[in-house]
Amino acid sequence: MENAVNFETVGFGKRLKSMLKVDFQRMFKSKLFYILIVCALIIPILITVMMTMMDGSVSVDPQTGVETVMQGPENAWQSIGTLPTDGGETMGGMDVMSMCNINMMFMLAAVFICLFISDDFKSGYAKNLFTVRSKKGDYVVSKTLAGFVSGALMLIFYFVGAMLGGAISGLSFDLGTLTAGNIAMCIMAKVFLMLVFVSIFVLVSVAAKQKAWLAICGSLGAGMLLFMMVSMITPLGSTVMNVVLCFAGGLLFAFSLGAVSNTVLNKTHLIY
Amino acid sequence: MNAVEIRNLSKNFGKKQAVNGLDMTVPMGAIYGFIGENGSGKSTTEKMICGLIPKSGGIVKLYGRDHTDESVRAKIGVLIESPGCFSGLSVWDNMMLQAANLGVKDAQKEVVRILKTVRMEGAAGNKYKNCSLGMKQRIGIAMALLGSPTLLVLDEPLNGLDADGMRIMREVLTDIVKDGKRSIVVSSHLLGELQKVATHYGIIRHGKMICEMTADELDANCRTYVALKAKNMSRAKSLLGCKYSRVEEDEAEYIRVYDMTTPEEIVTYLYGNGICVIELKTDKIGLEEYYIDLMKEGR
Repeated sequence: MENAVNFETVGFGKRLKSMLKVDFQRMFKSKLFYILIVCALIIPILITVMMTMMDGSVSVDPQTGVETVMQGPENAWQSIGTLPTDGGETMGGMDVMSMCNINMMFMLAAVFICLFISDDFKSGYAKNLFTVRSKKGDYVVSKTLAGFVSGALMLIFYFVGAMLGGAISGLSFDLGTLTAGNIAMCIMAKVFLMLVFVSIFVLVSVAAKQKAWLAICGSLGAGMLLFMMVSMITPLGSTVMNVVLCFAGGLLFAFSLGAVSNTVLNKTHLIY
Repeated sequence: MNAVEIRNLSKNFGKKQAVNGLDMTVPMGAIYGFIGENGSGKSTTEKMICGLIPKSGGIVKLYGRDHTDESVRAKIGVLIESPGCFSGLSVWDNMMLQAANLGVKDAQKEVVRILKTVRMEGAAGNKYKNCSLGMKQRIGIAMALLGSPTLLVLDEPLNGLDADGMRIMREVLTDIVKDGKRSIVVSSHLLGELQKVATHYGIIRHGKMICEMTADELDANCRTYVALKAKNMSRAKSLLGCKYSRVEEDEAEYIRVYDMTTPEEIVTYLYGNGICVIELKTDKIGLEEYYIDLMKEGR
């Protein structure tokens, strides 16, 4: 037949490969990504240097007259995770170092993923994509993987920044009872834990579509629920067990929330 | 085999029925002008064809297959609302991203070829956000053409184009279908422009298809009228208005007589009443007038 149309079915691997290629190209061409990576590098340097400089300074509450002695970091590893002291106790508490640490990177990843996905819907890219690729699962997998890589890179750059900050401030790099393996396991556990957060951020973002503000608020809100648990699940003294648990948790969240994201995309309007 | 075959399609937004039992047939190789008032359901229908919004009922078949079929979806190119480009990237980068997404082989060559088709080869390096509206519409067509689709769904591609932009767009659309393998569904309110390219028409009203026809059928359906200019236009108009049931003055200041009559009869009648006719012609009403008449009949 002269006007016959040839139909081809593209396999999952090929579809995912092309989608990932686009997502990574976009990610590495995005200014926002580099801004966040620079933030991830600079934040630990600034915090470590600032806290070291303020170490020992006393502030007085004008109403109660209570004096507070500012406590700086004792160790370069402190901004990576909680450090077991000689007595086996952790250096917890609500000081600046326990709040402004590597776990902030989960928040940066939320901002990046939400803006990345909302841009797809705002620009009409998602509309073009879903016209020719009806399987929404591909999109969810691709965004989850791209988001995971971006989050992992932020964690790694934060780690580099923390080490630089420690070196600049002249902090001790003494591992005490820990080993370099523990530090590596801690970082790996955090990287795998990123998958849990990314799955949540992707779900919130595909539900919010082009409303970036809604996606960011929703993601940070949902992330906050798990945020406080990060330091407990991934302490500096992490072992293979922590890594395995975070990996398993990451996969579990990625599959279950990925399925929910897929359903959201299938059941809702992709264009208004 | 038809490119698009829709039967009893419906779409509800809550209690509002946007599309109500719509039937539509787009033959292969056709430029299908999809016409209707604002809110008549054109865009909703197009979005359902592309699977961008779920349908409430009915059947949508593309090339004899269900429109949700993965293999048939790969054959659609779409320009609905916006071209789907990232504003911070260049036209070339946007095209290359879309080509990568579709797994286009020899992407660079293909992008160059398509940019030439839409007369945009000189603007490949421009950032998308710096392109004019006319350029953006053509980039949208170029994006839709990537991956060699056999069905293009274009929603208002002529909007905001200047005269030259419209001419280029007309050429582009006719170029696309000239091999007979591709079909285009194009909605537009610029009926005069649409009439210059469309081979088939579908007119939708309140979510229902009220008529479908070919360009030849439209031509046969369009009434002939006599247009004239006289020395005393106001008197000529009032005299003709007394004798004929539908007499109107058009934008070019011609008096049009739509009744079944001959030019000779009109000239004789006016001459008999002391009016000298200085210009006379017969013509057919266009798509726009046909559509307006049809809408009036329906009210």
